[in-house]
Amino acid sequence: MASNTTAGSGAGDLFQRKATGLLRGWSVLDGFIYAAFAINLMTLGLWIFSFAPFIPEGSLIYAIILSGLYLVFQAVTYASLIAVMPRAGGDYVWMSRVLGGGIGFVLAVTGWWFILWHWVPIYANILNVEVLVPLATILRFDGVANFFGAPGGMFTASMAVAILASILISLGMRTYARIQKFCFYGGVIGLVIMFSLLLFNSNADFVGAFNSHAQELYGAGGNAYQQTLDAGSIETNLGALAFGPTLLLIPMIVFFNLWSNWGATLYGEVRGASDFRKNIYAMGGALIVTSAVAVIMLLLFAKTFGWDFYYAASNAYWSGNGPISAWPYPGLFAAFLFDSAILQFILLALLALWFFGWVGSVFLSSTRVVFATAFDRVLPEWVSKTSRNGVPYYALALMLIPSIPISYLYAFGENFATYTLDATLVIATTFLGSAIAAAVLPWRKPEIYNASPIARYNVLGIPLVTVAASLFSLFLVFCLFKWLTDDTYGINNGQSLIYMAILYGVAVAVYVIFRLLRRAQGMDLNMVYDEIPEE
Amino acid sequence: MLSKLFSREPDTRVFFATDIHGSETCWRKFLNSGKHYEANIMILGGDMTGKALVPIVEEGPGRWHATLLENRREFESEDEVEEFEDSVKRRGYYPFRTDPDEMGELESDEEMRNELFYKEMLGTIERWMRMADEKLEGTDIECFVSPGNDDQFEVDEIIANAKRVRLAEGKVVEFGDFQMVSTGWSNRTPWDTYREEDEEDLAVRLKKMTDQVTAPPERTIYNFHCPPYGSGLDDAPELTEDLRPKHGGRSIVPVGSTAVRDAIKEGQPALALHGHIHEAKGNTRIGRTLCINPGSSYEQGQLLGAVVNLDGGKKVKRFVLTSG
Repeated sequence: MASNTTAGSGAGDLFQRKATGLLRGWSVLDGFIYAAFAINLMTLGLWIFSFAPFIPEGSLIYAIILSGLYLVFQAVTYASLIAVMPRAGGDYVWMSRVLGGGIGFVLAVTGWWFILWHWVPIYANILNVEVLVPLATILRFDGVANFFGAPGGMFTASMAVAILASILISLGMRTYARIQKFCFYGGVIGLVIMFSLLLFNSNADFVGAFNSHAQELYGAGGNAYQQTLDAGSIETNLGALAFGPTLLLIPMIVFFNLWSNWGATLYGEVRGASDFRKNIYAMGGALIVTSAVAVIMLLLFAKTFGWDFYYAASNAYWSGNGPISAWPYPGLFAAFLFDSAILQFILLALLALWFFGWVGSVFLSSTRVVFATAFDRVLPEWVSKTSRNGVPYYALALMLIPSIPISYLYAFGENFATYTLDATLVIATTFLGSAIAAAVLPWRKPEIYNASPIARYNVLGIPLVTVAASLFSLFLVFCLFKWLTDDTYGINNGQSLIYMAILYGVAVAVYVIFRLLRRAQGMDLNMVYDEIPEE
Repeated sequence: MLSKLFSREPDTRVFFATDIHGSETCWRKFLNSGKHYEANIMILGGDMTGKALVPIVEEGPGRWHATLLENRREFESEDEVEEFEDSVKRRGYYPFRTDPDEMGELESDEEMRNELFYKEMLGTIERWMRMADEKLEGTDIECFVSPGNDDQFEVDEIIANAKRVRLAEGKVVEFGDFQMVSTGWSNRTPWDTYREEDEEDLAVRLKKMTDQVTAPPERTIYNFHCPPYGSGLDDAPELTEDLRPKHGGRSIVPVGSTAVRDAIKEGQPALALHGHIHEAKGNTRIGRTLCINPGSSYEQGQLLGAVVNLDGGKKVKRFVLTSG
């Protein structure tokens, strides 16, 4: 019976009775796996690293190390928010409760809902260049490879991404969690094989393999390796720390490493200081380990591909003058070191698991934000409806349907792709809102903060959450400033900024309309956030 | 058509909260919720009692130590101890003062721990009922409380003796033209709690109660602590056999009751109020019935709740989930 009690771990600890919901600790490894999927080295990482030649004086490796270490403050910030308001529903709830309902709604729906429509074609791009085109190339399905390299293929891949993400979410979290775990372990095996190939083969081996496959698969005759070097020739900087240019690389690579908090809304209950640390270990650990693996991988590229070649291949691709027209996928380059097409296919398929375990994230957290706003009655009740099997079909439709015309315009429109350049910027702005909420939390919600397990963590008398969140905010402000003022990133495009301003405007309009509507219905939305007095 | 969008004057405004698990702060907020939300009916779902005792151990004259949330604290004045006791109560735990000798006995004697738990839990409920009587005296707010599966049976008697709080467990209660049936019983849990039983038995219990309702469905409320199975209001982390969340707490499974679901489907009350699964805050519809689980954040001293306007229409449309 429930009267059974358990003694604490030692004298002075607490005594618990058996009661619903008393759980034992969750596995840090599990949390780590999901955070590692969010900071996805093989998808987001490789994709954004290919833009590094635009800042050739910067050291990609040092930029990864510096930003990876600094972003631990992000992990501490989010672990703190989880500790103070666990099971709350993420950025929307944290911002709306601390900063106000309007700010919370506008920043959350733009950063976790509207902008993720625009991430569908970005995911599709990665699906194309890292999965579909390389696999089709290995299988000699030239028509398929060409198709996915063209606008029609881009749109098809976008629809595949949207449908795949919807299916994964429809399967439920239980199944999705298992699929992610399978993909993680399969992807790690692929990574180990890739690293082994790079480690145990020389640059000469690679030059031979590359030239041979360039001829065989792409019809690039002669010394394609040298031709790539010539076409994308650029002065590179592997190890020297040119601090200024290296710092400039950071706003670029946050496209890859800003997402350790992606699953923060889903972590388990924080029952004490150890669970707070667990959340830091899961998110910060994934960040540091992924950064370390990225550095090792880049060093292996330098050793086997040649650093100049790695940069030249990307540079030639973006310039459109290389001997090979396909995106220079390092996984495919590593696979060239196998003679057997079957082994090449297996390696690429294993590496593709990094994409398939990650693709659901484009909609998953968004559906939760949609639900949270509907529970607050800012959005209508129907958006939180689920099927008998728990499929959030309306919330999914709100993600899936707008992503279709956006993907179409992205694939076929002349300028639309440039409108989406601010995709990272909008999410970073949302994170900035949460970071500010975290920084002021001890003063805005002192009773909740003081009752939390982090209330005793201070740095020089200042709450740890305030210190970490302020430093994280500083990082985001730096990135936002650079994105908006520096042409290098290609983000400070006037049309793109206007487009994004429209998205914010829509969010403001939705909030104001529903707030007025609820008031007319006799339900003031202030009730959602107002704290009831104790006395 | 447009008028449908806007408010009809509600007959009744209900505030519902649940699963406060001993949190002194949440109880105090609950007592103020009627006035705060302009609700004339306050309903507290089950699980009022706390889950843990926190010993404050006297090390020597005027020196104490205790551990909360894995943080060890030391105190050198009565004020510091009292402040700590308040923070423990706020979280829903029961502080008690002791010495190293008694601590040793408590650690080795389960019976002694159980007695202490009973004393603290029931003592707190008695004190809470006195607070409610004082607070609600002179108001026209009606307050209903029904214990949950985590509450021992003695709680019912204490509530039944309160002047301004009505025990709702197991019977039909009326306010205005509305009737409400309540129970804190749930389907089986991994914790073997006080009020849980097999689905078949729970179905019989619910049937006995709902058969007593004479009001039409649009004026009926089911206040069942356990949420309906597969409603989304019953999503909880999947657990291993040793009660660890699988996949870092990401694997979510429905754990609600099929008997509750069937009862709602059959009776189609206007409103069904639930709790039990703290993390499954939300609302859904089963047929015409609006089902709500406001969730619980009692550890943070936040009173999650729901404000619902009842107007006797076919469907309840005016409601909002709150985090007070």
